[in-house]
Amino acid sequence: MTTTPTSDRTILNRFGPYLVLLAVLIAVQLLVSAESFPALLDDFLKDPIDSLGAWGQVNRRTHPLFTQFFAPLTNTVDFGITTIEDILTWLPWYVIPAGLFALIARRRRFLDATVAAAVMIYPGLVGLWEPTLETLALMSFAVFASAVIGIPLGIWAAFRPRVEAALRPFLDIMQTVPAFVYFLPLLVLFGIGKTNGAIATIIYALPPVVRLTTLGIRQVPAQSVEASDMFGASASQTLFKVQIPTAMPTILAGLSQTIMMALGIVVLAALVAAGGLGGLVLQSLNQRTTGRGIAVGLAIVAVAMLLDRVGRSLADGDRTKTLSRGAKLAWAVSLIAGVLVGRWKEWDTFPTVWTTRIFDPIDTAVDWAIANWSQYTRAVNDFVVGDIVVPIRSFLIDTVAWPVLIVLATYMVWRIAGPKLAAFTAAAMATIGLIGMWDLSIDTVVQVMIGVIIAILIAVPLGIMAGRNARVEAVLGPILDGLQTIPSLVYIIPVVTLFTLGPMPGIIASVLYAIVPGVRITALGIQNVPSESVEASQTFGATRVQTMLGVRIPLAAPTIMAGINQVIMMVLAMVIIAGLVGGGALGFETVRALTRNLYGHGFEVGLSIALIAMVLDRSTQALAQRFQPPAAT
Amino acid sequence: MVLTDQWLHYLAMTSSAPSNQPALSAEHIWKVFGSKPERAVELAESGESRSDVLAATGCTIAVRDVSFAVKPGETFVVMGLSGSGKSTLIRCVARLIESTKGTVNVDGEDFTAMNANQLREVRRKKLSMVFQHFGLFSHRRVIDNACYGLEIQGVPKAERHERALEILGVVGLSGFEYHYPQQLSGGMQQRVGLARALCVDPEILFFDEPFSALDPLIRRDMQDELIRLQQTMKRTIVFITHDFAEAIKLGDRIAIMKDGAFDQVGTAAELIRNPATPYVREFTEDIPKAKVLTARDIMTSGGDSSRRVESSATVYSLVPLLLNDPTPIAVTEDGFVIGQVDRESVATLMDEA
Ligand SMILES: Nc1ncnc2c1ncn2[C@@H]1O[C@H](COP(=O)(O)OP(=O)(O)OP(=O)(O)O)[C@@H](O)[C@H]1O
Ligand SMILES: [Mg+2]
Repeated sequence: MTTTPTSDRTILNRFGPYLVLLAVLIAVQLLVSAESFPALLDDFLKDPIDSLGAWGQVNRRTHPLFTQFFAPLTNTVDFGITTIEDILTWLPWYVIPAGLFALIARRRRFLDATVAAAVMIYPGLVGLWEPTLETLALMSFAVFASAVIGIPLGIWAAFRPRVEAALRPFLDIMQTVPAFVYFLPLLVLFGIGKTNGAIATIIYALPPVVRLTTLGIRQVPAQSVEASDMFGASASQTLFKVQIPTAMPTILAGLSQTIMMALGIVVLAALVAAGGLGGLVLQSLNQRTTGRGIAVGLAIVAVAMLLDRVGRSLADGDRTKTLSRGAKLAWAVSLIAGVLVGRWKEWDTFPTVWTTRIFDPIDTAVDWAIANWSQYTRAVNDFVVGDIVVPIRSFLIDTVAWPVLIVLATYMVWRIAGPKLAAFTAAAMATIGLIGMWDLSIDTVVQVMIGVIIAILIAVPLGIMAGRNARVEAVLGPILDGLQTIPSLVYIIPVVTLFTLGPMPGIIASVLYAIVPGVRITALGIQNVPSESVEASQTFGATRVQTMLGVRIPLAAPTIMAGINQVIMMVLAMVIIAGLVGGGALGFETVRALTRNLYGHGFEVGLSIALIAMVLDRSTQALAQRFQPPAAT
Repeated sequence: MVLTDQWLHYLAMTSSAPSNQPALSAEHIWKVFGSKPERAVELAESGESRSDVLAATGCTIAVRDVSFAVKPGETFVVMGLSGSGKSTLIRCVARLIESTKGTVNVDGEDFTAMNANQLREVRRKKLSMVFQHFGLFSHRRVIDNACYGLEIQGVPKAERHERALEILGVVGLSGFEYHYPQQLSGGMQQRVGLARALCVDPEILFFDEPFSALDPLIRRDMQDELIRLQQTMKRTIVFITHDFAEAIKLGDRIAIMKDGAFDQVGTAAELIRNPATPYVREFTEDIPKAKVLTARDIMTSGGDSSRRVESSATVYSLVPLLLNDPTPIAVTEDGFVIGQVDRESVATLMDEA
């Protein structure tokens, strides 16, 4: 009997704060439910940026900032790209694949050389020779510039922890914020054209090469560096003879990722008139010609493969496998002869063989699919959009009061990631509301959540299967590779035709795009579970399911969570891109701002996307951390 | 007759005695990790123990007032358990890290006072190091690993390759010159490390547990290899190990290191016969003394006999001789009789073990 008061008190102590909070939330909900977020700071932020943008447009030709800095920079970049392009088009067409073959074959990598040459010929065969050269010029410039900026930066960061600490937030933001967001501010500075495309590409693609260079240099075994020191090597001798060469595989992995990222945004770069293959993809998208879109997409993949092989070959310092001097000379002579003869005979354009029409049968197949399946796909579309997306969206926007949403989200983040990120989340949400992006942002987040849930439901089981079964992995491998390398807007084309415009194509494309890291990383996590732990479980007589649920999945959980983090970031990027195909929300606003020069509005949209990206990224990373077993002390 | 023998022997000893100048010496080396090294040294000098200093200042004393000198051509072994500060000591001596206090002399020159350029010069000309985890350059072929030091010195390619081929032959790596290090077994990788160190023809060689990462059989091979090489090349060697048997096998003199300081320095026989601390005794206890101590260590003064053994013969090898015939045996060195061993002294030693 006497114990009741104390236990009452403990219950109160325990749940009291929550009850108070709940009461306050209910009161707030009742009071403000109908009101939308007061966009107090909207004009405050928008107006100065709009006038800055307008100022930029007016003064582009007169103000020293432009005439002295941005215009020369733009001209230099433009000149660089145009020169590469001019040289490539000036050369007789066959010299390009032959030259690539010779370059890679100089280290006796004949398979790589053949692949590169074949891959270079493909765009010519389907009538995409010129736009491919255009894209190749833009991309090689961007990748080269990324390497020239990124590798020294990465090395510097490897030796100076302060530099690394200063760089990290920028690299984080550059990597998490969808590339779409960069274009508008760059538009103010560089105007429309190739330079804008190239600089956006460089910014977006820079982080991997910087990070992996730093990592590679750090991972050089300390004893190798000490050994070099002991021979009396100077710091630069050690750097160039030991550290950089030892780190080269890692640096190259970074460069490969940089190339993949750069190629991932060529299509978007076309929006700022960078032309080339990206423009053709957009055109196919508008005309719903899936086949031609795929033809162009494959050409983009070809450019990616080419840059990758060439980059690897250039960095290959293994001189033991070099062609003999005579063979090299023979190659050089025949290439020069090829150029001379070709110029004389004017064989500079690729002979017409086919056009992208050769891929038109794919459209017939898609038409057939529409005729036969659209009743189902439309039904799915109506169900997902009408019964899931719209109701959730309107519930969150119209029914739940905005302060309640902020408090709940902040509380969740607090539980996952602690007070710092919770404060950041609250501030981010308040900012988004105050600049008038509340509704659009919730719309975007709802689409992301649905995409993420579907992607996880597909990716994690597939990943577990692939991790346990090599055959499943072998079958999935090429499919995942394809999904990862073909620009996502290409496979949005048939999806749009099947499901009509709206949020659905964006969600489906984002799922397709994002399951790749989900499956890969889950499989990796499952495979890396120590076999001893599994065997220990089996010796206790655990069934397969028990071992899976009790040992494999918990041990793989941190890795799987890291995969889910990537899934979320990729879904977000795609949902934004889906603004191009009627996905609405922030993505559409980005496109609108970009095409109509709405600087202030575009900035607000970009800021909101960046804030959402940062909150999602950091909180899922914190979640992944929580699954990590405590470190040994 | 006997007198003359001994006299001549004495003369031989004094004339072949090494010059007084050590090839390498270290004086009062301290190394403290942490933010307040001076304070930590002060406390330690006033007699506080390592753990007390750690508690008071948060600093780890890795090396504590170590001094030693290595004669030209001598192999000086530092033996201690994991964490005793061996690697830190050798890194301070080689100036891969800077010591908190103390000086190192190389050929009588103050090595610790040299600036970066002078340091590089001395390293290029006189020093080399072999590492526990090899520290090989995975992007270079074996031959290019071996001639790295020459490359740093600016020796032309043809010349340095020629030298590297020769050295690789000496360490038994002929035929593997154009492989990459990671294509070789652990033992062979360490041969590459050895070749790389020898290729620059250094005066002083540092070894930081070079064989610890190898299998026991390969380790023995490598030890024998080093002994074989040292017989002809006579380099000054500082050798780190945590294996007392290895220390005895390779070392002319051995330092036993504990908690950052030397407990005792001496020849294997001295350590075994007079361990200075219980810690040293612990190591020596497991060692079969009869296999380490020699006739010289247990001989007593005495006259000639028809049976003679070399002073360097192990006690173990005397056992069968004395079992068959209990009369004392004369001990000779360079052909001169310097003493005798009898059945008693051998028996006492065998009992101790
Ligand atoms: N960079 C460092 N920072 C802080 N403490 C260090 C550092 N390097 C070594 N120590 C400490 O100094 C002590 C001696 O380390 P050291 O590596 O010299 O030991 P060791 O005798 O070589 O051991 P092992 O046989 O394991 O190689 C240890 O307590 C270690 O924790
Ligand atoms: Mg060590």
